[in-house]
Amino acid sequence: MRIEPRPHGPFRTRRRVSVSVELLRDNVEPEDIALLSSFTLTATFWLLFATAVGLLLSFKFPYPDWAASPYLSFGRLRAIHTNDTFYGWASIALTGAALYVGSRTSGIPIAGKRLAWLGLIGFNLAAVLGTITLDLGINYGDQEYREWVWWIRLILVAAIALSGAALVKTVAERVERDIYISNWYTIGGFVFTIILSVAALLPQYQFGLGQVAVQGFFMHNAVGMWFTFLALGVTYYALPKLLNRPIYSYALGVLGFWTNLVFYPIIGAHHFEFTPLPWWFQTLAIVFSVGMLVPVWAGSGNFFLTMRGHWETIRRSYALPFIVVGVAYYFLGSTQGTIEAFRSLQSIWHFTNFTIGHSHATMYGFITFIAWGAIYALLPRATGKQPSALATGLHFWLATIGVTAYVLALSVAGTLQGLTWAAGDPFISSVDAADPYWVARAIAGTMMFLAHIIFAYNVFVMTLGPSQESGKWVRQPAKRAAP
Amino acid sequence: MGAAAGETSGAVNRSGMNNVWSIVLASAIVYGALTVFMAVIPGTVLSRTKPTPGTHPLTAQESRGRDVYVGEGCAYCHSQVVRPLRQDLVFGRPSVAGDYAYSTPELLSDHRNGPDLTNIGTRQPSATWQYIHLWNPRAVVAGSIMPRYPWLFELKSKSAPNDVVVTVPPSYAPSNGAAIVATDDARALVAYLKALKQVPLGKGGAGK
Repeated sequence: MRIEPRPHGPFRTRRRVSVSVELLRDNVEPEDIALLSSFTLTATFWLLFATAVGLLLSFKFPYPDWAASPYLSFGRLRAIHTNDTFYGWASIALTGAALYVGSRTSGIPIAGKRLAWLGLIGFNLAAVLGTITLDLGINYGDQEYREWVWWIRLILVAAIALSGAALVKTVAERVERDIYISNWYTIGGFVFTIILSVAALLPQYQFGLGQVAVQGFFMHNAVGMWFTFLALGVTYYALPKLLNRPIYSYALGVLGFWTNLVFYPIIGAHHFEFTPLPWWFQTLAIVFSVGMLVPVWAGSGNFFLTMRGHWETIRRSYALPFIVVGVAYYFLGSTQGTIEAFRSLQSIWHFTNFTIGHSHATMYGFITFIAWGAIYALLPRATGKQPSALATGLHFWLATIGVTAYVLALSVAGTLQGLTWAAGDPFISSVDAADPYWVARAIAGTMMFLAHIIFAYNVFVMTLGPSQESGKWVRQPAKRAAP
Repeated sequence: MGAAAGETSGAVNRSGMNNVWSIVLASAIVYGALTVFMAVIPGTVLSRTKPTPGTHPLTAQESRGRDVYVGEGCAYCHSQVVRPLRQDLVFGRPSVAGDYAYSTPELLSDHRNGPDLTNIGTRQPSATWQYIHLWNPRAVVAGSIMPRYPWLFELKSKSAPNDVVVTVPPSYAPSNGAAIVATDDARALVAYLKALKQVPLGKGGAGK
């Protein structure tokens, strides 16, 4: 099915403009520009910091004696890498984008700006304190993505709630007739994550195996109910905007929303297959992991069908290729997640580096690429400053080749690890088998980190860089305030 | 706000799912219910799992060692769960629910860059081996990629009578000939590792 643009729909005004859509500038209040820029700049700082840590970690596999200080040790830095990419980089970048998209699709400036600023401060404060405490060896437990001690996680929940309130306020005060589908996803993401974070904080039902059940729920939902929802919401805005055409199907978007919401929370136990968690509980998780194909294929299919026939526009754009890769990894990474959940494959791949490959296919290939696509799509429209095509191209190819090599290397490494165990070889043979692929991973990681340095430079150009108002930009006719 | 904004402002649709509070409420109710069913209730029920007969709470020193284990992030490479699969039986018998009754925060982990430690106290009972391994894993396992933990040891020119002195191969020893003395943290960690022993599932046990 195909929804024709409504006469006053959010994408209509661009249709007759013949210049590249990226040359259009949104009519944005200075404080909204400052908000989006600040979210993006601090997020970029955390991307650089967290992936510098990740890079250091990757070199510790081939060189375990290198940087043998407690503050640079693998066990402490690993949680810093994951938490800072999650809550520093991806959360801040996508929250900024979600607020901006909320404002554009509501036809008004961001409402509740003070809430948004406080949210930004909260995210950064939590990430700083979390980094310091983890490096001192102070944590809540080796519980992935909730290693921060309770009071830091409380700051994080407050930051999510404050930013979410700013988004809800913006959409509530809108002048556009309908709530655009992007805001379903982003508002949902904030609501789910507040509930999830509070549920993960309460200790009363988290002893021994009970905590294992909660951890399976938490670690998967932190990814799927937060980053996935924000990234999909932002894509539902950025993709049609950049392509200058409506989304292929609004109904598929709604289907994706509800199926994601109902299926995702049930699949957490697939992280603990063959453990003493109840067998039926694990089976239920596997069944719904298959069910996840519905929202994943609905979402990625919807995006690809929107792109169909417009590859020339994509080729000429510097933001769209990031979204194409992001959607492709959404499809591949999530489908891989379904396949990985089957017991026959888990028996080999569980505990191996295959999992780390999968997490980078999704958190990096999908989430991070969508965040980049959104930033390259939104930020120049707000600030009127564009990065150079060369720098953006370098960023794109280094990151794309880097993450693909990374995922392939660890998928092979993980498979070999699992097979040596299944063959009954001594444990150390799994280390020896994975060793060359760890070197490959470190090289791939270096490419990814170089891409981040170029991205940081581009963000600087798009925000703090010199003005580019010299006829290069086509100011959008200020016919209407929205979007 | 131009005339165009005026065209739409009177027609803002706030019915059904076009009311932002409908989205907030529907999301909260559906997800809240799923959180209760998939996390709170299973967590509550499983938190009450009875200990496997024969398991004991950790001593104060072992408990401190567990804190070191958690703080240093050992679980990012070492699991503590044996699956009922042939390749896992080298680590011990399959884990059962009651094994985790005294295990909070849980340390099952989903990583095995290093071997499983569920039953390491039985499989490697030597404290001496553990100390050398913590000082430099490559002194005892050539191809190991485990980090060194020199900060769990003090270098002393002269050791005291109660010190645990670690003797390592000459090529791994400090060049000035100082004695490697285990700190209280190291002693606690090794005590914890030695306490990681599976209790057998016999008659009257949890395997029944």
